[in-house]
This record gives sequence, structure tokens and C-alpha cells, in this order.
Amino acid sequence: MTELTEAMPPQEAVASRPATPGRKAPSRAEIAAELGIKPPPRWARGLPRGLVAFLTNKKGMAGVIILTIIVMSAVLAPMIVPHDPFRRAGGPHVAPNAEYLLGTTRVGKDVFSQLIYGGRTSLLIGFVAGLAATVIGVFVGVAAGYFGGRIDEILSFFVNVVLVLPALPLIIVIAAFVEQASPLVIGLVLAVTGWGFAARTIRTQTLALKTKEFVLAAELLGEKKWRIVLMEIFPNMLSFVVGGFVLATIFAILAEAGLEFIGLGDPGAVTWGTMLYWAQRNLALEVGAWWEVWPACIAIMVTGAALVLINFAVDEITSPQLRASRGVGRVKAFLKARGRSVDVF
Amino acid sequence: MRFLMRRLGFYLAAFAVAITLNFFIPRWMPGDPTTRIFLGLRGKLTPQAMDALRASYGYDGNLWDQFMVYLGNLAHLDFGVSTTNFPEPTSSLLFYSAVWTLLLVGLATAISFVIGIGMGIYSAWNRGGFFDSVFTPVNVMLNAFTPAIVALILFYAFSLQWRLFPLGRAHDLGIEPALTFEFIINVLYHATLPVLSIVIVTFGSWHLGMRNTMIGLLNEDFVALAKAKGLSDQRIRYRYVARNAILPQITALALTVGYVLGGALITEYVFNYPGLGKFTLSAIQARDYSFIQAQLLLLTASVLIANLISDILNLILDPRLRSRTQE
Repeated sequence: MTELTEAMPPQEAVASRPATPGRKAPSRAEIAAELGIKPPPRWARGLPRGLVAFLTNKKGMAGVIILTIIVMSAVLAPMIVPHDPFRRAGGPHVAPNAEYLLGTTRVGKDVFSQLIYGGRTSLLIGFVAGLAATVIGVFVGVAAGYFGGRIDEILSFFVNVVLVLPALPLIIVIAAFVEQASPLVIGLVLAVTGWGFAARTIRTQTLALKTKEFVLAAELLGEKKWRIVLMEIFPNMLSFVVGGFVLATIFAILAEAGLEFIGLGDPGAVTWGTMLYWAQRNLALEVGAWWEVWPACIAIMVTGAALVLINFAVDEITSPQLRASRGVGRVKAFLKARGRSVDVF
Repeated sequence: MRFLMRRLGFYLAAFAVAITLNFFIPRWMPGDPTTRIFLGLRGKLTPQAMDALRASYGYDGNLWDQFMVYLGNLAHLDFGVSTTNFPEPTSSLLFYSAVWTLLLVGLATAISFVIGIGMGIYSAWNRGGFFDSVFTPVNVMLNAFTPAIVALILFYAFSLQWRLFPLGRAHDLGIEPALTFEFIINVLYHATLPVLSIVIVTFGSWHLGMRNTMIGLLNEDFVALAKAKGLSDQRIRYRYVARNAILPQITALALTVGYVLGGALITEYVFNYPGLGKFTLSAIQARDYSFIQAQLLLLTASVLIANLISDILNLILDPRLRSRTQE
């Protein structure tokens, strides 16, 4: 009898059998501590699992915090800015000092005030264009995936065309004929050209969900089609929608800045892109007025980085394999410390 | 073959969409080029001259006739007369500058793909390790730094401050353009910073794409079987996993060509590089509408050709695709 138990130890004992015989098997809590696995915090109980996964994701929360600070400073801009961003506030190209935190531009506008104020337009256009592109993408993707057949063929054709046409050259043509595109027009054009990726992902997801039993059950119960789409399919791919929104927003913010930088925007507007446009036109770098260039650059980079961090977190939620891969290094170390093979990875 | 024919049909249809857009955008927008020129001259144009101007731009007659004339001109690669270098046709400047843009895009895409795929393979194989947990997020974040900003930083540091690289042009004026060693080196020297700025903002997406696809594949049964058979890590990594994981990257490669082109246009502007981007921007300032429209068609054609090449590559690398198309 003793021989049998030795030959076939219980499952937990196998997983954690110490390399040196005679040492006591570690408890579950000890293994969890060594592997760095934390139990879900108490406040998380009762919340949806996807939400908890996001809230406990360090990268994602870092992104959210950075983005919140940037958005708040943009929203509260009128209270923060010390000078009128549209008017001359001091001498030309004054270096940063106590009065002008980030110096002044060549025409004497306060860079700090422009930076905070510019965030309003840049972020607003970015988020609205990203949202619009996502909405179009979700509609087209769900319709193509759910209805299939001829509708799918026609919609997929347009999705592929939008994906394949080079966005920036097309935007340049449109902007050239609109002449001095206002931020709103740029946002509109970006939404119309930027929905392809979201539509493709959503279509694939819809195709996968359509064949699931719960959708079939709803169909057999005689539910209306719009209800199935809205109540059964849509909630199950929410994380893909969020991921698509984040990516579309990144694209929109960067593209808007790029377009305005090369002079296709309205040079009278104050945005991060037009700040760069004026800095480049005034040869700010060449004359050594670095403060006219770098603040807007850094603002765009930090915003982009924060959104990328959020997208990372969303990615890890939509694909558990990626989340698991983060722990592989620790599991390997754990096994090695016990003299076990790590060949399984 | 049927697969390729179907793709080819799609690309032709997509190109038709681009042509149609190109025809209709200026006609939808308030005021066509001729009205703009008319306004610009503040009424110094007689009605007859105005009519002649409309005719030369192809804005006379009904819409259908205009479209036919437009298609006929395109078939002869006639993009109209450039208003910036007046007697010259648009096509000569277009093709001259396109060579430089395609050089930048080609070099940058190749370099960034090789670096990104290599890093992706390494970090997927050692997933959860130091390299993976540090460089995967960092490289992807570089993606969000937009070509404009990276180009500005590189231009400031290497061209303005340290004077290591030139301030503009595709090659030194003193050198005769010819296929000599000296000329090629000079061209590469001028292209270094523009190419580098595009590489910096693009290689992260290859890194992430390759890594994520490989991680998915590493959990598949065929990898476990290969390990059980005792195949070397080397063989599993490259012949089994990487080869499968690279297929979706090649498809994505073709789709990003459009994005890279956009990046190149902006980069050229910063580095004063004589490619399509620089001339398109001067065309916008000079209201040279035929050039602005021609660049869209040329770039669309390049992207579609890149897609066709990626389809052929996929066909070569993926036997499944070949056997399915033989049916």
C-alpha cells in the first residue's frame, strides 16, 4: 500500500515535489508567493473579470493615469494657462524662465499656454475621430460577419479597399482641395479613412461568435436579429472594440499632428501639430530655440505612449496566451530551482 | 493561379476606386482648380481665357465626358502640365521624385522588417524573460512616436548639432549621378537619417506581431511533438514556428506600405529630401493640382504592387495555399 502511494503521489505533490528529498512540500500559498501570483484584491469581488484584469494590469493602469493627467490639464486649460495662447505675451524667442515656463515662440506667444491649450484640440479631434472610425468599423464588421453572403462580399470589398489605399496621400489630396483644413475637417477625413482595421477585426470576431451555441439558442428562440447582435454578440467582443478604439485614436492623434506639421492644417488654430508647423517654419531648431519644438513633441509622444500602454493591457485581456507568457520566466526559474526540466516551454 | 487571379482582380478594382476618388474629390469640393486660379488673378482673366483654362484642366463639358477624357489621359500616363515647372509635364518630376521616395521606403521597410522579425523571434522564444519584458513594450511605444517627431530629433542631433550628416538633398551636387561606388555611397549617406527615422517608428510593430503570433504557435501540438521527437531548438524555432509565424507578417507588410509611404512623405519634408513628399508639399503651396492628384495614383499603384508581391511570397512560403489553389 505504501509503495502504491509512493508511485502515484497526489497531483499537488507532483507539481511541487522538492528536488532534495526530505524537504517538506511547500504549501499552495508558498508556491503562489514564490511565483509572484497575487490573489485578486478584495474590492475586485463581484466586478466583471475583464474589468478586474484591466484594473490590475500595471501597464494599462500606468497608461490610464498618464492619459488622465493629460486630459485633465487639457480640460482645465483655461484655469491653468498663464497667458492667452493666441496673443503675443512677451518678446520673441524668450528662453524658459519663471514667467514663461517654456519660453515664447518667435512671435512672442507663450509656449506653455499653447501646449496646454493645444492639447484640447489635438486630444478632442483624436478621440472623436477614433470613436467615429470605431463606430463605422463595428457597424460594417458586425454586418459583414453576421449577415454573410452577398452583404459580406460587398462590405469586405470596401474594407479591403480602405485598408489598401494609402491614407496619408489620400488625405493630402482631400486637404489640398479643402484648403486650410480646420481640425474638424481633418478629424472627419481621418475617421473616413481609418476604420478599416477595426472593421476587419470585428468581422473576424463576429464570424467566430456567430457559430457559438448561445447565439444559436437565441436564434431558435426567435429573437430579433438586431437584438441578437446587440445583446449576444456585441458584449462578447467589447474588448476588441476597445482595442480598436485605442488603435484608431493613436492613429488619429498622430496623423492629425503629422498633417498639421507639414502645413495642411489651419495655421491659425492652436494644436500640437500647428505648434510644430510654426516651429519648423520659423527655423526654431536652427536658431537654437529648442523650447519652441520639444514641448509639443514630448506631449505627442507621451500621449501616444500612454495609449500604447492601454492597448497592451487590452491585448493581454483579449488573448490569455499573451497574459500567460508574462509568467513564463518566473515559472522557468521556479522549475530550475527545483532541478526540473524546463523543456516544456 | 486562381488565387493570384482573384487578388489581381481585387487590386484592379481598388485602383479603379482610387482613380474615381481622384476624379471626383476636386469636383465635389467647393471651387475647382480653375476657379481658384481665376480668383487668384483677381478677375484679370477674360471669360474666353477662363474657358480655355477649364478646357486645359479637363473641367469643361458634362461630367461623363470629363471622366472619359480623364481616363484617356491616364492611359497615356498624361497627368497634365505641371504649374510649378510650367512647360514640363507633371509626369517627369513625378517619376524623378518617386525614385527617391521608393528608395527610402524600400530600404526602411527591409531593414525594419529584418530587425523586428529577429527581435520578435528572440523575445517569443524567451518570453517572460528580461529582453521580452523590457524591449517589447519599449519598441511598440516607439511606434507611437510618429515619423515627424523622430525625424526632427534625429535632424536636430545628427545634422544640426553634431554635423555628422548632411542637411538635405539625396546626394552631393558635385557628384555625377551614375552607378559608381562613390555615388552609391553618397546616396546611402544622405538616406541614412531619413531611413533611420522610418525604421525607428516601424520595427516595433514587426517585433510585436511576430512575437504574438509565435507565442500562439508555441502552444500548438506540433511543437510539442517536435520537442518529443528530440529535434534541436534551432530547428523548431526557425523551421517549425518562425516559418509559420512569418506568413501573417508578410500579409501585414503589404498593408503597412501605405503607412510607411505616409511616414516617408513627412520625413522628406524634415530632411529636405527631394522625394515625392517634398514636391507634393511645394505643389500644395503652388496649387499644382495635377501633381497632387498624380502622387496619389502613383503611391496607390505602388502599394497595390507591394500587395501583389506579398501574395506571391505567401504562395511560395505556404504550401497549403498552393495546394488549395490547384483544386
